[in-house]
Amino acid sequence: MRQVDMLLPIILSTLIFLASLAFIFTERLHRMIAGLAGAALMLAAGKLLGFYSEAQAVAAIDFNTLGLLLGMMILVALLEPTGFFQYLAVWAGRLSRGRQVRLMILLGSVTTVLSMFLDNVTTVVLIAPATILICEILGVSSTPYLMAEALLSDTGGVATLVGDPPNVLIASASGFSFIDFLTHALPIVAVIWVVALVLLRYLFRRELAERPRSARAVMKLNPAEALDDPQTARRALIVLGVAILLFFFHHTLHLSPSFVALCAAAGALVWIRPDVKRTLDGIQWSVLVFFGALFVMVGGLEAAGVFTAIVGLLDGAAAVPPVLLGVILMWVVAVLSAIVDNIPITIALIPVIQGLGAAGLEIRALWWALAFGAGFGGNGTIIGSTANIIVATLSERTHAPITASLWSKRGLPVMLATCLAATVLYVLAYPFLSR
Amino acid sequence: MKRKVISISADATTAEAAALYVKSHVGLLPILDDSGRPIGMIQLSDLLNLELPDFIRLVSDVDFVHDFGAVETTRPTREALSQPVTAIMQPVVMVEEESGLLRAYALMLQRGLSDLPVVNAKGKLVGIVSRVDLGTAILAVWPS
Repeated sequence: MRQVDMLLPIILSTLIFLASLAFIFTERLHRMIAGLAGAALMLAAGKLLGFYSEAQAVAAIDFNTLGLLLGMMILVALLEPTGFFQYLAVWAGRLSRGRQVRLMILLGSVTTVLSMFLDNVTTVVLIAPATILICEILGVSSTPYLMAEALLSDTGGVATLVGDPPNVLIASASGFSFIDFLTHALPIVAVIWVVALVLLRYLFRRELAERPRSARAVMKLNPAEALDDPQTARRALIVLGVAILLFFFHHTLHLSPSFVALCAAAGALVWIRPDVKRTLDGIQWSVLVFFGALFVMVGGLEAAGVFTAIVGLLDGAAAVPPVLLGVILMWVVAVLSAIVDNIPITIALIPVIQGLGAAGLEIRALWWALAFGAGFGGNGTIIGSTANIIVATLSERTHAPITASLWSKRGLPVMLATCLAATVLYVLAYPFLSR
Repeated sequence: MKRKVISISADATTAEAAALYVKSHVGLLPILDDSGRPIGMIQLSDLLNLELPDFIRLVSDVDFVHDFGAVETTRPTREALSQPVTAIMQPVVMVEEESGLLRAYALMLQRGLSDLPVVNAKGKLVGIVSRVDLGTAILAVWPS
């Protein structure tokens, strides 16, 4: 009887979680709706069977992650209407002088640097329209550029603590600082970024070899005119710069990244005093609610004892060489991330890794394996990351839409090559990554 | 209201609709079924979208673009021009003959139209009213 009492919460909570994921992955329901419904069901089941209370559900929400995301979203929402992103794309367009490879490197670099500090999705949403415009003016296909932007922003996001939601989650769970990411993830991402760019250059060699029909027109673009509100842009960028500076020292100053981000957001709001409704409209509330709901669901799984059971099943993990365990984790996460959203995967795997740590395994390097898998895996398919979906959707409004089969021909090789490179670097740098 | 309406049949191609626009200088082409009832309409902008695709709406403004370069010389593809008008038509917005002037004007404002098909009680197209026709008719009864 006792066994049944323990098994029922495990089975029920797992079913609720899997059903919710199934709705998210098949896109039968918006992920926020599926997540919130799953969280409500999880709590109802927990209260009914007595394994999960409301207080536990609230405690399961990682407010450090939510605060950091909210703070950065407010900063981006302030920067967004100023035309700053358009300005950067136009500047890159001019600097390229209409040379295709140069344009791809410039736009790719701009997107990467931005997505290291800002949300990938926002970066791509704001850079892609100007990219399409520049390509149409040049008379070349926008496909190589849009795909490069999505793939390189996903790649670049892995380099910093704030670059990608999985990193925010991993940092919060592992206690890694902003500097830890710069010393451990950034060098590996830099190498992988070059691998991705060189491969993209090769895969799109035919498109990039075409001479633009109207290279001179791009020289008449005026970046200054693309910047609609220079004063607000300047203020938002100064605050963002200060925030990034504080991120460097957050560990020494004993400040959480979310405190830094929310302070920066508050400071920027006071300085800029924008139209509040417009700024709040720019925040991706559905993402924040989705995160909160996932935390509540995963908290339910934890309270039901699912992760203890999984860690029990992974008893053999201790026998696997730690380097191999990391490589396996990276590839499993990468393959899953190519098919489904990497956020639920990361949130679900965090307690498993913590459980392995509690069981005495060395887990520092496993966190990096999780970050690399979640970050590079999304490149594999058109639905692998939100940035991919966005460039594909935007491309439907051009002469050359990006299709799922095109993505598997050009994006999948990039994912495989970057994961392979990440594996080699992970193995070589393992002694350092586990420190 | 103009009673001599230029319209196009549902089996016409997009290229034929474009040619009709060029020939007749109208602002709107209603698409009629065999019994003369409107089943859709094509605005000039629906055709121009084929030359200047939708991407232009993705950017907040185009002040900084002083030369549209290749966009200026990109023409719609053969496939785009040979598709039937029904593939690019919009649902028809129309008023009945008996409708009030302000109802017609409000419809135009809301849908961003400059011309509105007018149908009789049986739903058959009897004319087209332009924004200018309507506006001047409304102004005409103002006290002098």
